Amino acid sequence: MNESAASGDSSSGNQTTPPKPTEKKKRNLPGMPDPEAEVIALSPKTLMATNRFVCEICSKGFQRDQNLQLHRRGHNLPWKLRQRSSKDVKKRVYVCPEPSCVHHEPSRALGDLTGIKKHFCRKHGEKKWKCHKCSKKYAVQSDWKVHSKICGTKEYKCQCGTAFSRRDSYITHRAFCDALAGETAKAPSAAEPAADIAQDLEAGVSSSPPVSLPPQQSPAPEDPPPSDNSNHVSELLDSAAANPSSSQILEELPNVTSLATGCSSSSCSGSSGSSSSNVFASLFASSTSSANLQPQTTGFTNLFQSISCPDYTPDVAPSSSSEPVALCLAVNQGSSIFGKVGQERRQYPPAPQPTLSATALLQKAAQVGAAAQNMSLLRGLGVVSSSSSPNSTEEWSQQKMETSGGSLASGLGLGLGCDSGTGLKELMLGTPSVFSPKHTTLDLLGLGMAASGCSTSGLSALMSSVNGGLDVSAAAQPFNGREYDSQ
Amino acid sequence: MKADVRGKNPSPTISSMQNPSLFTNSRSSISGAVLTGCLSSLDGACIEKLLLHCGSALESNDVTLAQQVMWVLNNVASAVGDPNQRLASYFLRALVSRASRVCPATMSFKAAGIPHRRLMSVTELAGYVDLIPWHRFGFCASNNAILDAVRGFRKIHILDLSITHCMQWPTLIDALGKEPECPPVELRISVLSWRPPTPPLLNIPIEKVGQRLVNFARYRDVPFEFNVIKVGGPVEEEETVVSSSFYDFLLSQLNATIVKVNVDEALVVNIQNWLRYLPDEETSLSDSSCDGIMSYRDSFLELVGRLSPCLVTVVDEDCDLGAQSGLASRIVSCFNYMWIPFDAFETFLPKDSPQRIEYESDIGHKIENIVGYEGAQRIERLESEGRLCRRMAAAGFMSVPFGEETVKEVKALLDEHASGWGMKKDEEGMLVLTWKGHNAVYAGAWVPYAPAFHQNNLLV
Repeated sequence: MNESAASGDSSSGNQTTPPKPTEKKKRNLPGMPDPEAEVIALSPKTLMATNRFVCEICSKGFQRDQNLQLHRRGHNLPWKLRQRSSKDVKKRVYVCPEPSCVHHEPSRALGDLTGIKKHFCRKHGEKKWKCHKCSKKYAVQSDWKVHSKICGTKEYKCQCGTAFSRRDSYITHRAFCDALAGETAKAPSAAEPAADIAQDLEAGVSSSPPVSLPPQQSPAPEDPPPSDNSNHVSELLDSAAANPSSSQILEELPNVTSLATGCSSSSCSGSSGSSSSNVFASLFASSTSSANLQPQTTGFTNLFQSISCPDYTPDVAPSSSSEPVALCLAVNQGSSIFGKVGQERRQYPPAPQPTLSATALLQKAAQVGAAAQNMSLLRGLGVVSSSSSPNSTEEWSQQKMETSGGSLASGLGLGLGCDSGTGLKELMLGTPSVFSPKHTTLDLLGLGMAASGCSTSGLSALMSSVNGGLDVSAAAQPFNGREYDSQ
Repeated sequence: MKADVRGKNPSPTISSMQNPSLFTNSRSSISGAVLTGCLSSLDGACIEKLLLHCGSALESNDVTLAQQVMWVLNNVASAVGDPNQRLASYFLRALVSRASRVCPATMSFKAAGIPHRRLMSVTELAGYVDLIPWHRFGFCASNNAILDAVRGFRKIHILDLSITHCMQWPTLIDALGKEPECPPVELRISVLSWRPPTPPLLNIPIEKVGQRLVNFARYRDVPFEFNVIKVGGPVEEEETVVSSSFYDFLLSQLNATIVKVNVDEALVVNIQNWLRYLPDEETSLSDSSCDGIMSYRDSFLELVGRLSPCLVTVVDEDCDLGAQSGLASRIVSCFNYMWIPFDAFETFLPKDSPQRIEYESDIGHKIENIVGYEGAQRIERLESEGRLCRRMAAAGFMSVPFGEETVKEVKALLDEHASGWGMKKDEEGMLVLTWKGHNAVYAGAWVPYAPAFHQNNLLV
């Protein structure tokens, strides 16, 4: 074991211990003890004994002899407090009492009594401490405490709002997340997702070359005035991308987000039917009455005016069907314009963006619909909205539940049709109880046996009844529990 | 014995049937004794015996006995009870559906008897595979082994044969994205257009899944390409009977041209829960490229070997339910094996959790196939680790032990799950996922004996 040199000598070949001031004790590698140390083998009982030192007067137990001695002073007993003699520091190492353990060998003994205790508990002990939040169990209380502190705190958040405690779950979800399905935005690699969109926008805006404005778009199926504005919307986005004064956009972006906050009370109906002209207008002059928004509204209006379209006329008419979602999505679509991912890394080739009319944008908003409520842009603003995925599962289950009752009855009806004896009828009646507590009676036994004579028909009756339930139950799978739990 | 470990939960109604003498009227005295013995307490061991007897009865066409046992099982089984009861309900369903085909049926069932299953969205599937480490174990082990094997190659081509719709790959893409290599490693993943008709089922075609992977890879700065190899297949979705001509065709497509093997790419063949769908009956094949008596599974492996992959990863479930097992033994093996995921769910999900019920019913679907069918319709031909190792060796493969890093990664993964999950490494270097000590899923890696000539063209 190399001597750790005086401080400052970090370039020695000593890879094992970092250089320390000489006052500190030198530390050996765990499990590779000092060859001259005294090896102590304690029995499991001694190792796990918590209070080895007991006061003879009051039988109070202590973990350390020093503490017992201090206690003895209170009883006016003679005490002996041993001073740590600096000369004869006999290093002690401890072996694990478990014979099959690698640390049972003296050459792999551990240098710390507390350490060997913890090791013995962890590896060979019973896990008595259980985390409340997850299902992990620990044998050592301090391990459990440490875990409880961090359990649930380390989270990966997807842009759709779902949180994960494990990275691999997060990565898998992120790759397939519906909310990001259409997005080709690029983010700095290995970045935590929380700031993804903001980073997208900033990165994209700062380095994107001017995007040529798309030629006049094909007329939208709506009335001409909205389509004009819809053109403006996409043009605005394009030109925003083209805006060389990107810093201005960056400054204004926080305003966008705060505006969106103001719209949190409005419902994200996602209807594509609403006139697109109101998208921006309703966002700016939103249904909130907060005075704060006014200066920012004008600021944003200024922004758009300054950008380009001189013929942009902001409709200040407030609309109850404001769609902050659409804006966010539009911004996202915009971000795909801003941060267009190229084949080369870190480059944003000036690929011509396919013309995205506001109608298309709104339709996309409708598609993404409920999931859009969880766009992190809104999220980050404290807009509270329930995540879509669990709800959709439950909704589905709810719907199916309604249909199951009827089909179950018809399944039974089918079964009852080919009945060949009252006992079997009762059996069939009882068979929905395949999924619930049974109501069997002794009668069934007798009748069931009697049916053995005409076994084929009995069997087929059983088959058809249970199968009647089967077909139904198969379709009604996910909520059998719910359906019958109430019984 | 496993049954001792399981909790005992006698159904309250059984106590009402305290008259065992009624059963002595049955034709078979064995069943009477068994049923009598079972009535006192109904635990896993008892249900296992009941299933065994039912299976034997069906095998010997003793309809009466089968009916009686089914009736008892009917009273024990419960889709909302403890794991044994829940499992029993799926088994009963499968047995009944099988028996209904034994008798002339008064109702017509769909040829394959697949209940109409819910199709998951891809996001739901992502959550599904993470519920328990059942799939993630294989993903993690294989991905790490792949990364070890392709180190130094500029291009990777993975032929992905699995049933989890590419859920494995985001983490691999992510790992490749983290490598600070310049220029970056190029990844190409190929899948077949055909997939065994088994859950989990997805509501979008594989091409759309691939599109999302492409987007994700772009996001992670990994040059990526996704191919779908057209192999035809049964036209209708409900049709599970895959004829031998389909397998012939499938195998004929597995050549270097169609799979598009490139010399400068490291080829990896990833087989996850897929090998079991290739029939393992030994027959003389019409395929002229393979002489002698072999099963489709064997000839498939030979073809894979001829592609000269630099790694073949195989992950599957450790249970013997292949061609060689008769009904009764299959039922028992299947029951003891499927208890594992059921018990795992019991440990950390409530009884009425929709995710749990969905997962369990997917397993029930497999049970239905394993127990309810024979011959070509029985597509779930699970093979244990030992048998697979022998098969791989016979097909000319050499086992590649998993590295220390891989083992550490898998351990870390399992640490994040419930404490009942464990892992062991066997002598051949394969990894086995265990639940409370029972073998659940195994993962292994192999290379063909003949060294791949293209490895000489390493471009670093």
